[in-house]
Amino acid sequence: MKISVLYGTETGNAEMLAEDIQTALEDDHDVSCRNLADIDPAGLSGEEFLILVCSTYGEGDLPASAQPFAKRLDEGNFDLSAVRFAIFGLGDSEYEETFTHGSLKLSQRLQAQGAVQIGDRLTHDASQGEMPEDIAVPWAKAIVEGLPK
Amino acid sequence: MNGKIAIVGAGPSGCYVAQALLKSEPALQVDVIDALPVPYGLVRYGVAADHQGTKAVVRQFARIFERQGARFFGNVRIGLDVSLNDLRQAYDVVVIAAGLSLDKKLGVEGEELPGVYGSASLAMALHEHPDAGALPVLGANPIIVGNGNVAIDLVRMLCKTRDEFDGSDLGAIPTAWLERNEFETITILGRSAASRAKFDALMLRELGKLGNVQIDVIGADHSDEPDERKRLDALADINGHASGKSRVIFRFGLTPVAVEGREHVTGLRVSGTNGTETIPASSIITAIGFADDGALGHDELKAAALDLEAGKLADGLFCVGWFRAGPRGAIPDSRLDAQAVAHKIIDDLAVDLGRIGGELFEGLPGVVGFDGWQNIDAHETSTALPNRSRKKLPTRTELLRVAKQELN
Repeated sequence: MKISVLYGTETGNAEMLAEDIQTALEDDHDVSCRNLADIDPAGLSGEEFLILVCSTYGEGDLPASAQPFAKRLDEGNFDLSAVRFAIFGLGDSEYEETFTHGSLKLSQRLQAQGAVQIGDRLTHDASQGEMPEDIAVPWAKAIVEGLPK
Repeated sequence: MNGKIAIVGAGPSGCYVAQALLKSEPALQVDVIDALPVPYGLVRYGVAADHQGTKAVVRQFARIFERQGARFFGNVRIGLDVSLNDLRQAYDVVVIAAGLSLDKKLGVEGEELPGVYGSASLAMALHEHPDAGALPVLGANPIIVGNGNVAIDLVRMLCKTRDEFDGSDLGAIPTAWLERNEFETITILGRSAASRAKFDALMLRELGKLGNVQIDVIGADHSDEPDERKRLDALADINGHASGKSRVIFRFGLTPVAVEGREHVTGLRVSGTNGTETIPASSIITAIGFADDGALGHDELKAAALDLEAGKLADGLFCVGWFRAGPRGAIPDSRLDAQAVAHKIIDDLAVDLGRIGGELFEGLPGVVGFDGWQNIDAHETSTALPNRSRKKLPTRTELLRVAKQELN
């Protein structure tokens, strides 16, 4: 299966996690890992399954590298109905009102253009002891295994 | 691409440069040198003890050494143990990522009086930096001068109750010191209008969650500019938050004119649109920026820089982060700056295979490698007290002993 792991990052933590997901899946699949800043929504098709990894910055804002992508989504009309994606959010529960709102907003924007989210949006809390890859890698594997071949 | 690169300073800027260099050119030998026996600079000693989520970037930095092949040379002071010139001879490129470690001065009369402290010095003591002085006596009515996030970090830490530090890595001595303080009023003031202050709205909103404060925001102005509005909205939202007895007063548009007092600070004279007044103070903490310590010839190097915007000081000598651009911006900014300078370094790189690289440090006593830091890290996390994530070793002697696994 062709899988594209796309990350929206501010400090690089989401990028590192995206690379971990790529590494975990690439033995069995054709996986690329790219920055959302370099993605044109018009170029998204159903050919690749998307796994998005996105942090949150400031007051529940999208991280810097996801902002140009979100802006392009907002400004255009895209038919993304063939696009299927899963999304993982990074956040810090110290800021509970806006916890993982970056990934939430990204998911909502993609769905508003017709893209279909597969599985639940899973999140990691930087204020807890767990490693994000310990949550995200099994999650990504389970989602990919559950997809129709 | 081969080539040997030395980075002076293992804080966020230095680590992000190493990461970007090795991501682009994995065959480079990248050596990161720090004056302390431990890496990560301000992430360990500047990011507040109760902001552990922010400190999670160290997991990226650890991978630079664990997986990307960078080496750590800790406890090596460039300018003292090894000269900058010798370092430049040993490496194809030297990158200065040493930051700015001193407090910028107010520049007013009375500043040398006892009772005036810099926020950088105070933050070092709160975070158990091995070169820090003792925690000072602040008295009942300290004034914090500054309109940035450093000032907010201090207010928040000073006002937090013991329970509010659960999960942090605040040490036992700073914890006891914070508990002993009995503040009546903490005044935080700055020159700019509220709309032009440098606080992040998010940092302000955190104050509105504290359990033992009453917050008064005096004299905030109005603005329709979106970023300024965010800050003003946050100030308006926390204004009047009353959950306990420490009073926090925000004031704006006040320029310090003189520190008053004879043998100790008694007040701060300020001038504003309504004239001059003296605000009584038991101590004054300056949080108006950072300055260079002179160890690497910061001013001379930058005055002679070939292309400071791109980080190029001279052939084979670059700088990055606060050392390059001044004390502005947080971790995300240092990452972008480091990535830009790393590209310039690679574009510019001329490799001389005769460079000796890390052999330069052979024979120096007490050099700590990344394995030494891993010993310290394991020790500090395994000895953490209840409700703490880490117990920092507070002295160079202890850090060096544990780095070498000489455990009593």
